[in-house]
Amino acid sequence: MVLRTTGLTKHFGGLTAIDEVTFELAGDECCSLIGPNGAGKTTFFNLLTGTLAPSEGRVEFKTAGEWRDLTDAQTHETAQAGIHRSYQISNLFPTSSVLENVRIAAQAHGSDSWKLWQNAENLTQYTEEAYRILDRVGLEDDAHSTAAALSHGNKRNLEVAIALAGDPDVLLLDEPTSGVSTDGIEDVIGVIDDVAEDHAILLVEHNMDVVMEVSDRIAVLHQGQLIANDQPDAVRDDPAVQEAYLGGYAGGETGRGGAA
Amino acid sequence: MDPTDDRPTESVDKTHDRRGAPIDRPTSARDTALRYAETHISHVAVVFAFVLYPVVYSFLLGTPLGDEFAVLLPRIRTMIAVLYLGLFAMSFDFISGYTGYLSFGHAMFYGTGAYLVVMAANGKLPIVSPETPFFVLLLVAAALAGVLALAVGAVSFRLSGVYFAMITLGFAEVLHVFIQNWDRVSDNPRDGAAVTSPDGFELGVPGIDGLTFEIGRLVGDSVENAFGLGIDLSSAELSYYLIGAVVLVCYFALQRIIHSPFGRVLIAIRENEERARAVGYHTFFYKMGAFAIAGAFAAIAGGLYAGYRRSVAPESTFDLFVTADALLASIIGGFGTLAGPLYGHLFHETLSGILSTDSDGLARYLRETIPQSVLEAELVGIEVLRLVNVLIDGRAELYLGMIFILFVLFVPRGLLGSVRDRLGGTVSEVVAMRVRQWRKNR
Repeated sequence: MVLRTTGLTKHFGGLTAIDEVTFELAGDECCSLIGPNGAGKTTFFNLLTGTLAPSEGRVEFKTAGEWRDLTDAQTHETAQAGIHRSYQISNLFPTSSVLENVRIAAQAHGSDSWKLWQNAENLTQYTEEAYRILDRVGLEDDAHSTAAALSHGNKRNLEVAIALAGDPDVLLLDEPTSGVSTDGIEDVIGVIDDVAEDHAILLVEHNMDVVMEVSDRIAVLHQGQLIANDQPDAVRDDPAVQEAYLGGYAGGETGRGGAA
Repeated sequence: MDPTDDRPTESVDKTHDRRGAPIDRPTSARDTALRYAETHISHVAVVFAFVLYPVVYSFLLGTPLGDEFAVLLPRIRTMIAVLYLGLFAMSFDFISGYTGYLSFGHAMFYGTGAYLVVMAANGKLPIVSPETPFFVLLLVAAALAGVLALAVGAVSFRLSGVYFAMITLGFAEVLHVFIQNWDRVSDNPRDGAAVTSPDGFELGVPGIDGLTFEIGRLVGDSVENAFGLGIDLSSAELSYYLIGAVVLVCYFALQRIIHSPFGRVLIAIRENEERARAVGYHTFFYKMGAFAIAGAFAAIAGGLYAGYRRSVAPESTFDLFVTADALLASIIGGFGTLAGPLYGHLFHETLSGILSTDSDGLARYLRETIPQSVLEAELVGIEVLRLVNVLIDGRAELYLGMIFILFVLFVPRGLLGSVRDRLGGTVSEVVAMRVRQWRKNR
C-alpha cells in the first residue's frame, strides 16, 4: 500500500460530500474510481491532494517504508510528497510552451527554484526530464508550441505529462478522456497503460470501456460512500452497483457509459 | 525511477533536434563567446543609443531645424526623469507583469527610497549619518523597502486579484497620510523636504575620486575635457550618464532574475497559480520574494529621484498617481516585458514634452512661428490661435488618456510585446539568430 484513507469525511454545510471513506491503494495497481455525477469523486481527489481539508478522518501516504500523515498537508506538500494529479478541465500554463509546462513542474522537485542568479536554460536536467515525458505521452513534436495552441486531445495528454514530472508515486487522473473524440481514446488508454507500469494510479473515469480495460480494481462511490471495491468483473456484476450507477452495463458500449 | 526505464531509448542525437532540424551547437570556446555576444547586440545598441542621445540632441539643436528638434525631442533633464521613473515602472512590471499581482501601492517603495535619501542627508535618521555615501544610501533604501514589502506582502498575499491591488493601495495611502504629517521630515511635512546641504550626492566608481561626480539639479558637477578627449559634459549630461549607469545595472539584475529558475516560477504563478501549487510550489513564498525584489528596486528608483531633484514631496512620491504613471508606462510599453515600461515612459515623457506649455512646447512654437495673420484667421468658425491654445497647449494628459484607452483596446501587449509577437521572440534572440545566420552564410 502507498496511500490509505481512514474514515475520510467532508461536509459542505449540511451536505456530506464524502462519508467515512476507508480506502487503500497499492503501489503497483491501477484502480478506477467510478460513480454517478455528484458522487464525490473530485472532492475525494481534492481531499487527497490537500486542496480541501477533511472534516474528519485521515489521509496517509507511505514514503520510504514509513506511513506519513498527510491529512492537514497543503497542495504543494502533497505534491512534494509524491501525489500528483491531473484535472478534469485542462489546467495548464496557457501561454508558456508545452516544454516549459512540463519543465517547470520538473523544476518543482529539485532544489534550484530559489536560484536568482542562474539561467534556467542552463539547468538541463529539468529540460531533459521534460523531453522524456513529452516523448512518453507523444507530444515531442509540439514541445515548442504554446500550450493554449494545442488540440483538445493533446491538452489532455499535456495534463497527464505535467502530473508525471517529478516522478510521483501516486497519480490521480481526473477524467483524462473527458471531451476526447472516440478515435483519441485509444491514445489515452495507451498513455494510461504505459504510466501504470511504474506508478500507482487512481483514475476517475466515466467511459466504462476505458475503465474495464485499464483497471486492476474498481471502487464505486455513491452519494459520498464507497459501495463497492473489488475486481472489475465482480464490480460489474454487483447488483448494488448496477442499481446505483451502471444501469445494466454489459460491455461494448461506447461514449460516456451508463447513467453518467 | 526513470520514466523511460522499460522502453528502448532512442540514442541521443546531438546534431538534430526532435523535429529533425539540425541543432546548431557551439563548436569552440570562441564560438560560445561569440554567441553570448550576439545575444547582447540589441542591448548594446539600446545602451549606445541612450549614451549618444545627449550628443545627437545638442548637434540637432545646432542645425537650422534646431527649433523644431527642440520641440520634438525630450530635453536631457526630461531624459533623466525617464531613467529613474523608467526603473520604477520596470520594478512595477517585475511584480505585476510577471506574477500577475497588481501592486497598486507600489509608490510606497518609491517614496521610502526618496524620503530615506533626503532625510539621511539632512541628518534626520538614526544610524545612517549625513556623510553616508550616496550609493550606500541606495542600498539601505533597497533593503528597507524590501523589508517593508515583506511586511505588506505577509498581509496582502492572503488575497488575490482586485483585492490584492486594493489592499496594497490601502497600505500606500496610510503611509501617504503618515508622511504628510510626520514632523521629523521637515517643519512643513505636507510640502515635503529639501536637502539642506549644498553638496550634491556623489555617484561613480566607488573608491576612485577621479571617477566620482556629484549629481543633481543646479548643484551637479560638470566636466570639461573629460579624460583628455575633448568632451565637455554639462551637469545635466553628467547626471544623465551616472543615473543611467545605475538604472542599467538594475535592469540587468532584474533581467537576470526573470530568466532564473525563480523567475520561471513567477511566470508559472501568473499563468496558473492553482496548477503551480499543484506541481509543488509553495507560491506564497515566491510571491513574497518577488514583491521584496520589486520593492527594493522601486526604492532605488526613488533614491535616484531624490538624489537628482534634491527634494521630495508627498504627492510626487507616495501618491497613487505615481503608481498610475508606472501602470501607464507598463501598458504602453508592454506588460510583462521588463524593458517595455522604460520605452512606455519615454513615449509618455516625449508626448508630454511636445504638448507642454513650456518654451520647448509645440503650442508656444506654433504661436511664435505661424504668421499673425494665420493665427487670427478662422478655421471652421474658430480662431486658429484659440484652437492651438485649446487643443495643444498643456493637453498632454488628455491625449495620453486617449492613447492609454487605444492601447488597452488595440495593442494589449504594448509596444515591446507587439514587437516580440511580430518577431516571434525577444528582440535580442531574434537579432542574435539573424547575425548567426549571416555569419554562417558569409
